Amino acid sequence: MTFLIQQTLLYAVPLMIVALAGVFAERSGIINLALEGIMIFGAFIGVLFVRSMQGVAVFVNAASSGKWLTLQGLELLAMLVSAIMGAVFSLLLSFASVNLKADQTIGGTALNLMAPALVLFLIRIIANQNTLQMATGDAASWFMIKKSTFGIPKSTNLGFFGETFLHKVYLATYVCILIFVVLSIVLYKTRFGLRLRSCGENPQAADSLGINVYRMRYTGTTISGALAGMGGFVYALTTTNCTANGDVAGFGFLALAVMIFGNWKPLNIAGASLLFGLFKCIAAAYTSIDINGDGVYLLAQIGISSPLYRMLPYLVTLAVLAFTSSKSRAPKAEGIPYDKGSR
Amino acid sequence: MQSDYIIEMLNIRKEFPGIVANDDITLQLRRGEIHALLGENGAGKSTLMSVLFGLYQPERGVIKKNGEVVRIQNPNDATALNIGMVHQHFKLVDVFTVLDNIILGAEDTRLGFLQKKEARKKVQALSEKYKLSVDLDAKVEDISVGMQQRTEILKMLYRDNEILIFDEPTAVLTPQEIDELMEIMRGFAREGKSILFITHKLNEIMAVADRVTVLRKGKYVGTVETKNTTKQELSAMMVGRPVQLQVEKGESTPGDVILDVKGLTVPSKLHKNNAVKDVTFQVHAGEIVCIAGIDGNGQTELVYGLTGLEKASAGTVTVCGKDISRASIHKRSEAGISHIPEDRHKHGLVLDDTLENNLVLQSFREPRFQSGGFIRKSAVREYAEKIIGQYDVRCGQGPVTVARSMSGGNQQKAIIGREIDRGNPLLIAVQPTRGLDVGAIEYIHSQLVAQRDAGKAVLLVSLELDEVMNLSDRILVMYEGEIVGELDPRKTTVQELGLYMAGAKRGGKGEAQA
Amino acid sequence: MRNLLDKEGTKKVLASLISIIVGLCVGAIVVIIVGLTKDSIPLGGMWDGVRLIFAGIFSTGRDAQGVLTWGYNAQALGNMLFRAMPLIMTGLSVAVANKTGLFNIGAPGQYLMGTMVSLMVALAIPSSVVPAGIIWILAFLSGCLAGAVWGAIPGVLKAFLNINEVLACIMTNWLAANVVTWVFDVTNFKNVVENTKSGYIYKTTYNGVQTPKLLLDKLFPGSQVNGGILIAILVAVAMYILINKTTLGYELKACGSNRHAARYAGINDKRNIVLSMAIAGALSAGGAALYWLSGNTEFYWSTYQSLPAAGFNGIPVALLAVNNPIAVVFTGIFMAMLDIVGVQLTGYTAYNEYITDVIISVIVYLSAFSLLIRTMLNSKKGTKTNANAEPAPAPAPAAEQTEIKEGGEEA
Repeated sequence: MTFLIQQTLLYAVPLMIVALAGVFAERSGIINLALEGIMIFGAFIGVLFVRSMQGVAVFVNAASSGKWLTLQGLELLAMLVSAIMGAVFSLLLSFASVNLKADQTIGGTALNLMAPALVLFLIRIIANQNTLQMATGDAASWFMIKKSTFGIPKSTNLGFFGETFLHKVYLATYVCILIFVVLSIVLYKTRFGLRLRSCGENPQAADSLGINVYRMRYTGTTISGALAGMGGFVYALTTTNCTANGDVAGFGFLALAVMIFGNWKPLNIAGASLLFGLFKCIAAAYTSIDINGDGVYLLAQIGISSPLYRMLPYLVTLAVLAFTSSKSRAPKAEGIPYDKGSR
Repeated sequence: MQSDYIIEMLNIRKEFPGIVANDDITLQLRRGEIHALLGENGAGKSTLMSVLFGLYQPERGVIKKNGEVVRIQNPNDATALNIGMVHQHFKLVDVFTVLDNIILGAEDTRLGFLQKKEARKKVQALSEKYKLSVDLDAKVEDISVGMQQRTEILKMLYRDNEILIFDEPTAVLTPQEIDELMEIMRGFAREGKSILFITHKLNEIMAVADRVTVLRKGKYVGTVETKNTTKQELSAMMVGRPVQLQVEKGESTPGDVILDVKGLTVPSKLHKNNAVKDVTFQVHAGEIVCIAGIDGNGQTELVYGLTGLEKASAGTVTVCGKDISRASIHKRSEAGISHIPEDRHKHGLVLDDTLENNLVLQSFREPRFQSGGFIRKSAVREYAEKIIGQYDVRCGQGPVTVARSMSGGNQQKAIIGREIDRGNPLLIAVQPTRGLDVGAIEYIHSQLVAQRDAGKAVLLVSLELDEVMNLSDRILVMYEGEIVGELDPRKTTVQELGLYMAGAKRGGKGEAQA
Repeated sequence: MRNLLDKEGTKKVLASLISIIVGLCVGAIVVIIVGLTKDSIPLGGMWDGVRLIFAGIFSTGRDAQGVLTWGYNAQALGNMLFRAMPLIMTGLSVAVANKTGLFNIGAPGQYLMGTMVSLMVALAIPSSVVPAGIIWILAFLSGCLAGAVWGAIPGVLKAFLNINEVLACIMTNWLAANVVTWVFDVTNFKNVVENTKSGYIYKTTYNGVQTPKLLLDKLFPGSQVNGGILIAILVAVAMYILINKTTLGYELKACGSNRHAARYAGINDKRNIVLSMAIAGALSAGGAALYWLSGNTEFYWSTYQSLPAAGFNGIPVALLAVNNPIAVVFTGIFMAMLDIVGVQLTGYTAYNEYITDVIISVIVYLSAFSLLIRTMLNSKKGTKTNANAEPAPAPAPAAEQTEIKEGGEEA
């Protein structure tokens, strides 16, 4: 059970944060189809940052002498860097959609093609192979919070709660949850949030009230890019052992589906992410899930072949979209370029 | 020295690519007056107001407030000068509450967080003072058009605006609601607020305005005191020639039943109730039956139910004795329905396609336009040229003109030509004159009457009371999805019609009560 | 009037050319930046990279001194045509869907399904019983059919449940990737004869099935080219006729530019959406069939982690061609040329083939608004013509514009 919850969270949290990225863009009126590409880019940047910081004395010493606070700092720094670069990358989309009033679907697709191409091109030159890894050690030894991190002996049982949420976890997971909560409040309780949402629903109205629609859309998409970039790195850190290979296996698109399923509302999205995280977790690790802790790996023994498990998240997405699409309510003005001249 | 005028717009010129929308226009608004701005659709009224509101920058001319030149570069500047505007198409965010809509753009915050308590108090006080009742916590999409308008007015009052612009505010109201609005406007004027009232309806100007400025085709015609002028004079100023206010038509001679609707019920897309509830009526050959009512009372859905754009949940529709209740749109069209749609951009035309392709939108499958699945381009071209000539459709490049580049009036003429030429016994025309100038309106009215006289059944849906009264042989009033009355235009008055439209009166001739 | 239409065409070609040139320049700039920052790449190597990007198709390798040599390279040209074959088909796929207002990003999945079914049919029917030519035709057609069915799935979801086709396509792509792996995992088409390789399916030549060369191998000696390229060109012409000359094409286009108006006119929009996606699916799958039935490449069947680039590259092919089926032939060949350039880069320099994907993505990015710039030019011209035709048309930008947008939004 502990394993299941932890694994689910590992997938659910990046999904949730990237879905929120989608919300910020779409609520401002821009369809961000490029979430996938920005994630790929963010993952690459984060891993590259970690990799190059591993040569810096402070962190090398910290790793060898177990100064875990410094290492957690490095993790946060990498998140920040990938967020910034994700935001920068997303400017390409904002520029095309806001200034040039381009087709947002094509613009997003371009970014989705560009990110893996650029990333793989660079990885091949940097690492001479198709995967970029940490220079030394792995994500678990550098960044994972374990009992030993706090000097607690392995044999001590922290109880269900402790074992699940304090042992073998990443700080990034909790930071993401915190950011998610803060940004959800921003979206609903602040002036900025109110104005952002008005731009996605009725930009003409917003403009007539003196709100700068262009700026709002830039801001929304930039926040979206930052979150997706960070989400990409967190995904790479927690689920692929801090490696980047120009691919997040459709995770960005799953996040879009989660966003639609969650009806563009943060609370629903949090719930939807957990559901999808569970399926993604089953798909990735069904052989090692021991549901009730009796040593029987039920899912592996049913005899369903692995491709079926791997297809599960995509099938579920389609099914969920099929059931919710007629009722779902997208921001009314999303995808329509706003033209100040003609209102 | 204080100027007589609170706002002056002097010699304003505004161009759009290929068009001069405002050419040397002057408008002077006195403090505490109600000043009407009169002009046809497309005369440049909205453009002028957008200039005043900072939405457009003029190429030439100045704006003065209290005699001093001001520059209004965006709506914020306008708000700072205490100018407020109720736009013709309301600028409201549907999914926000009324309160959120009122404070949007002028929010009180503490550390970036919204402070709604004070705002609520202020709005409540305003709404009591001016008798503008609204439900502050209702979402805009759930409230009536009248309440939406009150929300817009409260938005201006919340910002302490002194110069209030009303852009075509009466189009969506019943005659009774219009009277209330007029009273509210007079109240504002008494308090010293200055009001600009944009309209093309002469009755309203005569009723409420102190002075009126007339525009025609982007040019300034003149400013007159309402007490020194007449409706006839104003209409001549507006159109540039004497206007036939009355449609010329003889008695109708109704023939066989062409359209027979029994118990039609159509579900709504917007809410859980039915948009059309158990509606029964008939339209005969050789008569124009008009569906009157305030926008959003089920007229659109009724037409969708008749033409098949929406599935009816109950009832039957019979055209020329053929039951088409379950038929596809294509089959209904073949059974004898021509349909001039409400929204010519959404339904009527493929805007990015050529005129000729648009003219065969329904008929391209007919043998005269195709053989073996291949389109006969030359036949289509020939046909398009015929329609263009016959219905006087002005288009820059003939049959290959892109529909989007044509003016609204000519787009509508093309649609009308297409629909009439199909020769169907039933013609459904939904707001066929919306947004058009007087010339086009006269033409379309005469075409509809000609169709009636040729023995076709015409079902007209209109929101314009003048059109309803002038054109129809019978009036059916729709209110909340039901037909609440059948009236004879020769025996009823606009006031009585208004009572039906507002749901205050029901009945009329018995047969309408299904 | 003719003149004007020609101008319109010129404008389209110009816009695409600009996209291509800018794309290539961005690629060159990336190469230069990387070359300057990376010590292991000498200046000469960098210069070679830049030159290859622009003219890689005429590269004939390096001479004994290690200097790049240039000239007519029949093999490279032949291979370019060979690689253009699936790209033209997926490009047509994206273009046809686009005419109906659908963004077919599902080409990779359709391509995979076409691969799977055509390979299975080509290998399963013994050529000792049925003539190889017949098997080829059966394999091609059944591949197309599989793609049509697969493409129709997002079509159905879009038409009847209003699910965004882009999301549905992405999901079906990954489903296809898994289905293909699964099916080949449990069936017996794995190449077990050549023990050196694992994870590959037999070439169709194992069963004696391959696309006839039609003397093209004589024209481009040493290359992989075969008659499939001619089939692809024929299909492009057929699509041109379908879209521009037939009632079906008229219906598809009407649904694409204004779904509401099409419905109003009694055109069955739902059927057309499904049909359009099915045709698109068949085209993508047909591209796959042409590629694999050539018999000179082996299919690596464990595809579940990646999607074929030939599918995604149909998008730039179609965008550059402005969805014109005839133009797709040329842009398809251009994209194939970039492919060859990538191979040359990997072979002769320290760079790798992914730079061509960067170039392609830049081209897609540019075409996102090159479309728009043309529309703007057109609409301006339209208003002016209109102003001349009529004394004073109504300037009602406000209401009119919003209406237009709403009209096009769902379509």
